[in-house]
Amino acid sequence: MIIDKSEIIENTQIAKDIWRMVFKSAEIADRYLGAGQFVAVLANDDWEHPIRRPMSIANVTDDRISIIYKVFGFVTEALTNLKSEDYVNVLGPIGNTFNVKYETFYPILIGGGIGLSPILNLSKCLVYKGIDFTMIIGAKTSTEHFLEHNPNENLFLSTDDGTLGIKGTVIEGLNIVLKDIRNPKIFACGPEPMLHSIQKMLEEKSIPAQFSVESYMACGVGICQGCAMHKKQNDGYFLVCKDGPVFEANEVRFD
Amino acid sequence: MTDLTCKIGSIEFKNPIFTASGTFGYGNDLPEFVDVSKLGAIVTKSITYEPRIGNPPPRIVETPSGMLNSIGLANIGVKRFIKDIIPIYKNFDTKIIVNIASSTNNEYVKVLKEIESISSDIIGYEINISCPNVEHGGMELGVDAELSSNLITELRKHTEKLLIVKLTPNVTDITKIAKAVESAGADAISAINTIVGMGIDIKTHKPAIYKTYAGLSGPAIKPIALAMVHKISKAVSIPIIGIGGIVNFENVVEFLLAGATAVQIGTANLRNPNAGMIIVDELNNYLDDSRIMHYSELIGKLKLYE
Repeated sequence: MIIDKSEIIENTQIAKDIWRMVFKSAEIADRYLGAGQFVAVLANDDWEHPIRRPMSIANVTDDRISIIYKVFGFVTEALTNLKSEDYVNVLGPIGNTFNVKYETFYPILIGGGIGLSPILNLSKCLVYKGIDFTMIIGAKTSTEHFLEHNPNENLFLSTDDGTLGIKGTVIEGLNIVLKDIRNPKIFACGPEPMLHSIQKMLEEKSIPAQFSVESYMACGVGICQGCAMHKKQNDGYFLVCKDGPVFEANEVRFD
Repeated sequence: MTDLTCKIGSIEFKNPIFTASGTFGYGNDLPEFVDVSKLGAIVTKSITYEPRIGNPPPRIVETPSGMLNSIGLANIGVKRFIKDIIPIYKNFDTKIIVNIASSTNNEYVKVLKEIESISSDIIGYEINISCPNVEHGGMELGVDAELSSNLITELRKHTEKLLIVKLTPNVTDITKIAKAVESAGADAISAINTIVGMGIDIKTHKPAIYKTYAGLSGPAIKPIALAMVHKISKAVSIPIIGIGGIVNFENVVEFLLAGATAVQIGTANLRNPNAGMIIVDELNNYLDDSRIMHYSELIGKLKLYE
């Protein structure tokens, strides 16, 4: 893990309130382990907003690192104002990775909202390795999507309002997909209610899953203990930054 | 070259920049780029007698120029601290101060005696009588001069090491508590701990933090911390360690002028765990440029308006 002032290569809007930033950091790329890891970004150097924002890595190619972020507050708004050749202060890479046992399971990838960032990253790894998989991406409405709904290519989109792809949440999509798949394993990232729904559904069907969870976080290095996540087994907590962000679905408790 | 050596009680520190409890873990297990040897001291996360799992999430939220936290003293307990962490400190080229928190007077004494019973590199204790995020023992003790005094009198009997008392700003008159712990035998005062605050999420109508009330830290509280440090400095003669929203050397100079002998870096560590080390370098350069031979020339040198 390192803090790097990274040069921005590209920072563009790809859907409503959704942006992709590509920055250059050989230091972070050298330490990168795989899909699931994230970085913590500082939009500017003043102290009005002291805390870094955790953002999943969407792709790493050579020394280029991509993140996909949603604009929902002052800091993410400020990020959109950065241009190529500007610098962004990035801490990373942070956390563990998805662990895909390709030989035994058929991977179903699910990304909800901005949770699609690490899921896209994982999908690229699977394509690179020649592993077949299905991907389900959920959003509130069609304008938040930037991929094509294409069931023939095993890419399913869902929107809460039905304006694109399957009407409803990724759960509806998952129900459709599961009918035709044997030995599935789910790899999901998204807001807590989505992961909670998937967890309940899979428990009934005894389907294994890995979740990359989102959390409030201050330091990203394990010292603030802010990113607590309930353990399923006992009353204790994981730290999302140190123990995660990827957990087996049966390790964590949402409530 | 400016002299940064700092003396509190009988202990000499290489500089007056320490890390604040709860913002630097136990000082181990940090990212590779963090060089703790540059620090004057590390103040550990609060240690209690029994391990604590801490409070449910959400535990932290950002606020304008600050943050609220309610971690709930999550820690491994004194026995594991002694077994797993203290031996590591042999290899640390900085001083270690153990922050102790507890629910009862008896428990503070028990934690301190456990650590006193072994030979270690610990040079002193910071007694946390000011945590706003636990039901018992934190702040309720720190707002009462007599209770604070009784506790410090008791702890003083069991240690020759440095005894620092960390005060809460959530009081009407902090100088009363400061005087009480000074009389009870404290070697130094650290101030301030976080200020009780609250956030509300208007989407869910829930508090931003699970425990409703939380501790506010960061640059937002610096003016309050400066005023408290200044008031305490006029009330007691023991050294003060200033804490509250320090993010750069300019802030350190402010606290020195207000009367602090040393400072602790807190929230800034959460943005960059190397913050303290960077501030040491900045301070060194500033003092060199200002031709100040020893940093202590600044302590308490505030020039009040006539």
